[in-house]
Amino acid sequence: MKSYVAQRLGIAVLTLIGMSIVIFLLLRLAPGDIVDILFSTAGYVNESEKAAIMKELGLDRSYVTQYVDWMRQIVTFDLGKSYRYDLPAWDIIRPLLPVTIELAVLSIVVAVVLGVPAGVISAVRQDTTLDYALRVFSLAGLSMPSFWLGMVIILGMVSWLGWIPPLTYVKPTENFGAHVIQFALPALAVGYRSSALIMRITRSSLLEVMREDYIRTAWAKGQNERTVIWRHALKNAILPVVTVIGIEFAFLIGGLVVTETVFNLPGVARFLVQAILWRDYPIVQTLVMFIAIVVILSNLLVDMLYGVLDPRVRYGS
Amino acid sequence: MAASPIEARVDVPIVSVRPAPPGAWTSLGRFVRRKPLGAAGGVIMLLMVLTAILAPWLQTYDPIATNAAYTLGRPNADHWLGTDHLGRDIYSRIVHGAWVSLVVGLGSTLLGSALGGVIGLLSGYVGGKTDLTVQRVLDILQGLPLLVLALVMSASLGPSIRNVIVAISIPIIPRAARVIRASVLSIREMQYVEAARALGVRHLRVAFRHILPNTVGPFIVLCTAQLGSAILVEATLSFLGMGVPEPYPSWGRMLSVSAAEYAQKAPHLVLFPGIAISLAVFGSNLLGDALRDTLDPRLRGSR
Amino acid sequence: MSRTRAILSWFAVILCVAVVSTPALSQTPKSGGTLNMTQREDLPQGFAIHETQTSSTVWPSMPCFNNLVIYDPTKKQESMDTIVGELAEKWSWQDNYRNLVFFLRKGVKWHDGQPFTSKDVKFTFDMVREAPDATGKLRINPRKDWYANVQSIETPDPYTVVFHLKRPQPSILMMLASGYSPVYAAHVQPATYRTGCVGTGPYKLKEWRKGEFVEYVKNPDYFVKGRPYLDGLKYIVIAERGTRTAALQSGQVDVAFPGETSKTISEQLKKAVPQLVVTPISENVNNNVIMNIKKAPFDNLQARLAVSRAIDRRALVQAVYQGGAVVGAAMAPKPWAFWGLADKDLASLPGYGKPAEEKAAAKRIMAELGYSPDKPLRVEMVTRGLQIYVDMASFVINELKQVGIEATLKQIETAQWHAMAVRGEYQIGANLTGLGADDPDGNFYENYACGSPRNYTHYCNEQVQAMFDQQSQETDAKKRVALVNAIQRKLEEDAARPILNWRIDYFTHWPHVKGLVPQNSVYNYGRMQEVWRDK
Repeated sequence: MKSYVAQRLGIAVLTLIGMSIVIFLLLRLAPGDIVDILFSTAGYVNESEKAAIMKELGLDRSYVTQYVDWMRQIVTFDLGKSYRYDLPAWDIIRPLLPVTIELAVLSIVVAVVLGVPAGVISAVRQDTTLDYALRVFSLAGLSMPSFWLGMVIILGMVSWLGWIPPLTYVKPTENFGAHVIQFALPALAVGYRSSALIMRITRSSLLEVMREDYIRTAWAKGQNERTVIWRHALKNAILPVVTVIGIEFAFLIGGLVVTETVFNLPGVARFLVQAILWRDYPIVQTLVMFIAIVVILSNLLVDMLYGVLDPRVRYGS
Repeated sequence: MAASPIEARVDVPIVSVRPAPPGAWTSLGRFVRRKPLGAAGGVIMLLMVLTAILAPWLQTYDPIATNAAYTLGRPNADHWLGTDHLGRDIYSRIVHGAWVSLVVGLGSTLLGSALGGVIGLLSGYVGGKTDLTVQRVLDILQGLPLLVLALVMSASLGPSIRNVIVAISIPIIPRAARVIRASVLSIREMQYVEAARALGVRHLRVAFRHILPNTVGPFIVLCTAQLGSAILVEATLSFLGMGVPEPYPSWGRMLSVSAAEYAQKAPHLVLFPGIAISLAVFGSNLLGDALRDTLDPRLRGSR
Repeated sequence: MSRTRAILSWFAVILCVAVVSTPALSQTPKSGGTLNMTQREDLPQGFAIHETQTSSTVWPSMPCFNNLVIYDPTKKQESMDTIVGELAEKWSWQDNYRNLVFFLRKGVKWHDGQPFTSKDVKFTFDMVREAPDATGKLRINPRKDWYANVQSIETPDPYTVVFHLKRPQPSILMMLASGYSPVYAAHVQPATYRTGCVGTGPYKLKEWRKGEFVEYVKNPDYFVKGRPYLDGLKYIVIAERGTRTAALQSGQVDVAFPGETSKTISEQLKKAVPQLVVTPISENVNNNVIMNIKKAPFDNLQARLAVSRAIDRRALVQAVYQGGAVVGAAMAPKPWAFWGLADKDLASLPGYGKPAEEKAAAKRIMAELGYSPDKPLRVEMVTRGLQIYVDMASFVINELKQVGIEATLKQIETAQWHAMAVRGEYQIGANLTGLGADDPDGNFYENYACGSPRNYTHYCNEQVQAMFDQQSQETDAKKRVALVNAIQRKLEEDAARPILNWRIDYFTHWPHVKGLVPQNSVYNYGRMQEVWRDK
C-alpha cells in the first residue's frame, strides 16, 4: 500500500510538471498579453512604452528562462506577482479560496443528498413511472446549463420578491443567516446538476448488486426490503458512487466558474476567468496548477477510499 | 503496476456489435419498447439534426437581420418566439443556433473521439512503455476540468467556430483514448486476434482490421455521452464571451449580456435559448444512456 | 381688523411659509450614512487614473483625489462657465491666454498627513506632459497630447503655479477640470497608485478587496468644511450585467454605474421600482465607422461617402438603443451638450438626410464604382469583441448589404483592438469613441489630427488641421463656435470617421441618494463631495 501511494504520488508529480508546461505554453501562444490589455484600458498603444513594461514584467525573456523561473518560484512556494495587481499572487488568491471550497463542499453535499436517495428509489422501483420520473428529473439537471439555472433563479427572485441574496461575501461570523442563504442557492444550482451523475451511478450499481447471490439469499431469508436494500445492497453499491464523487469534484469546478459569476460570489473560479481574460499569467498559472492538484489528490483519495471500502481491491503489483 | 481502480471502472463493453441482426426494424422497435426514454432522446436528436439541416427553410426571418421597428417584441403570430433587443427574430435564430450547436458539438466530439480513439487503439495494442507514456500524457490533459481547459484553449486560440471545436475536442481526447484502450486490451487477448497474429498478419493491419471494428460499440456510446457535454461547454464558452462569435446565432451567446438585462421586460430572451440548450443536451443524454445500457452487456440483463 | 384676526392672519402667513419651505428644509443635506455603488469590473489599474482611460478606473477612484479645478458638481451641463476651483482657490489668465496662474488653497493635507503644495502640481503635470526635467514617470500615458501646448510649469511659491503655454489655449481649463486630471502626490511613487491611493480627496481608501469591492471612509481632515456628507462609500464589483440590474432593483446597490443603463433597462427598473430616480444624460461617447484611408477601397472618398450614406442613423438609434441615443456629428449635439451642430445643419450633411434618399445616393455611388447588391463589394468589418460594439456592427452590416457592400464581421479580442486599430490593420470597423470633456480640443487633436495614435483612420487634411489650431486659439466664444461648426461639417463631408450617434445614459439611483448630479461626460462627476443620503 505504501509503495503504491509513493508510486501514485510520483506519477502525480510528473503529471503536474507536464501540465505546467502545457499551461505555460498555451498562455504564451494566446494572442495578446497583459501589456496589450493595459494599453487597451488606456485606449492607445505606444511601442516603446510597451517594450519598457514587457521588460519590467520580465516578459521579454525567453520562454525557457521564464519557465525555469516559474518552476524555481513554485519550489520555493513563491507564486510570483500578479501582473494586473502588482501584488503577490498568493495574497490575492488566499481570501478567495474559502468561498470556493465552501461552495464546492456544499454542492457535493446537495448532490449526494439528492442523488443517492433518488438513485436507490429509482433502482428499487425499476421501470415504474416513479423510476422514469426520477431519471428524467435528474437528467434534466444534467442538461440545464448551470449559468442559465443561476440566471433564472436570480431573475425570478428579483422580479417576484424584489430581493436577491447578498452580492458581497458575508462572513458566517457576521451574519450566519445571510451567509447560509448566500451559499445555499448557488450550491443548489451546482449540486442539482451534479446529482444527476451520482443518481445514475447509484441506480446502476445498485441494480447490479441486487442481482448478486447474497442479496437473493437475504431476500429468501425473508428480511424486509428496507434492511436488504439499505444495509446489504447499498453498502456494496456505494463503491462506484464514491468514485463518481471524486470525478465529480473536477467536473464541479467547471460549473463553479459560471455560477460564481452569476451569483457574484468572490471565489477562485470567477477570478480565474478574469485572470484568463487579463492574461495575468502568474494568477492563471497558480490557479490552474492548484485546481490540477486538487483534482489529482481527490482522485488519489478516492482510490484510497476504494481500498478501505472494498477489501477485494489490492494495491501494488 | 495494477491498473488504477478508476481506469478499471470505466464501462467497457466487451462484446462487439454484431453486423446488423435480422430485421433492423424489429430491433429498432424493440429498442423503442424497452427504452422509451432513449427513444424519446433519439427523437429529440433527430429533430435537432433536421432543424439544423433545414434551418434555411425553417426560418421565418433572416436570423441576423435587425428590425428597428420591433425590438424586444413579445412572441406573436409574426415572431413565434419574439424578437431580441435588435429586433432579430428569436425563432429563426434558435433554428440556426441548432446548426451552430450541432456543428460544434458533433465536430468537437468526433474530432476528440477520433484522435483519442486512434491514440487509445495504438497505445492499447502496442502496450508496454509506449502505452505507459501515452497514459501519463493523457493524465495531463485529464487533470483539468473540461471547462477550465476549454477556457484556456479558446482564449489562446481566439474566437472562431473552428477554434471552439478544437478547444472543446482537446479535453475529449483522453476520455476517448481511455475507453478505446480498455476495450482494445480486452479484445487483444481474444482468440481470433491471436490467431491473426499467429498467421503473421501485420500489426497495423491487425489493429485496424480486427480490433477497430470491435470498438465501434464503445465508440458510439462515448460519442453520445460526450455530445451533450460538448454542446453545454460551447454554450458556456459563448456565454462567457469566449465561444462562437457573432454573427453566428449561438444559443449560449444569445443568453449572454443583453438577455439577462432585458429579462424582466422580455423573459423570452432568457427562456427560449435556455430551453433549446437544455432540450438538446437532454436528448443526447437520454439517447446516450439508453445506448450504453443496450450496448453494455453488464447492464444488459439488468432490466 | 381685530387683534385675534391679525394674529390669526400672521399665523396663516407663518404656516404658509412653513409649508412652502418644508421641501426646501428637507433638502438640507444630512451628514452620515454610506452608499453602495455599482462597479462594472474590477479596477483595471487600481487608482492610477493617469495611466488609464476608462470609467472603470476614474469613477471609483475620483473620491480619493482632487483636481486643480473641476466642473461644478451641482450642474448638469459642463462648460467653461461651470468650472470651479478645487485645489486651486482662484486662477487667472495673463498675457492674452498665454499664462495660466493658479492660486492654491492653503492648509490642504494629503491622506498620509503631508502638506499639499505647488510642488505636487508641477510634479503631476510635468509627469503627464513628459517634460524633460519631470521627476515622476508614468508607464502608460494616454493623455500626453492634452498638454502638448504647455511650454513649462513654474512654482514661484508653495501656493502659486503658473502654466506657460506655447500659444493661447483657453480650453486647457476644460482638460484640467476633467476627472482624468487629478493631482498626484510628489512624495509618492506614481506606481503605487496602482495598488493604493494617497490623495487629498473627500474620502480615504479603506480597503480594496480584489475582484470584490473598493471601500472608502470619510476624510475627516478634508479642506472643504462640512464635506463630505457621507461616512463611507463602497463600490461593489458586479461583472454579470443581469445581476447588476437585479442588484440595483433589489436595493443592494444605491447607484448604477455611469453609462451602463440603457433606456429600456431604466424603463424596466422604473416599472419594478417606481421611486427610482432616472436622469437621461449624454455620455459623451459616440458610435462611429472607422475606414482605413490608406487602404483600398476606402482610400476613395466616394466609397467612404457611400458607407456613410447607407447607414440610417435614426433607425440605428431605434434598433440598437430603443430610442435612447441621439444623432449628431463630431461633437455631442444640443441640448445634451454644447458644441454639436443644430439639426438643420446636420440635415444637409452626407448620411443625415432622408433615409430613402441617402440609401439611393449610396447605391448610385456604388453603381458608379461598379458594385450592386447582386455584385457586392466584399469587405471585412472589424469590431471589438464587446456586446455594445457587436450590436452596432450587426446593424451596420445589415444597412451596408442593402447598397451593395457585403461585410463579414470579424471580432477582435478586446485586448487586441487598439493595437490593431493604431496599426491600421483593417479595412472598415465599427468603433466607439469616448471624450474626456465636451471640448473640441480634446476631440479634434486626439481623433482627427495628422499623426495622432488614436486617429485610427489616418485621416490627415492640412487645411482642417489649421482650423483645429485656429479654433483652439480663438478667445472670442462666438467665433470659436463658428469655426468648430465648420470643422464638424468638413469632417463629415470628408467621411473622415462617420459619426452614427451619441449615446445617452439613463443614469439611475435610489431616491435617498441626494446631490449626485450626472454630467454630460461620464468621466467627470465621480467626486461624491456633495452627495448625501436621505435616510
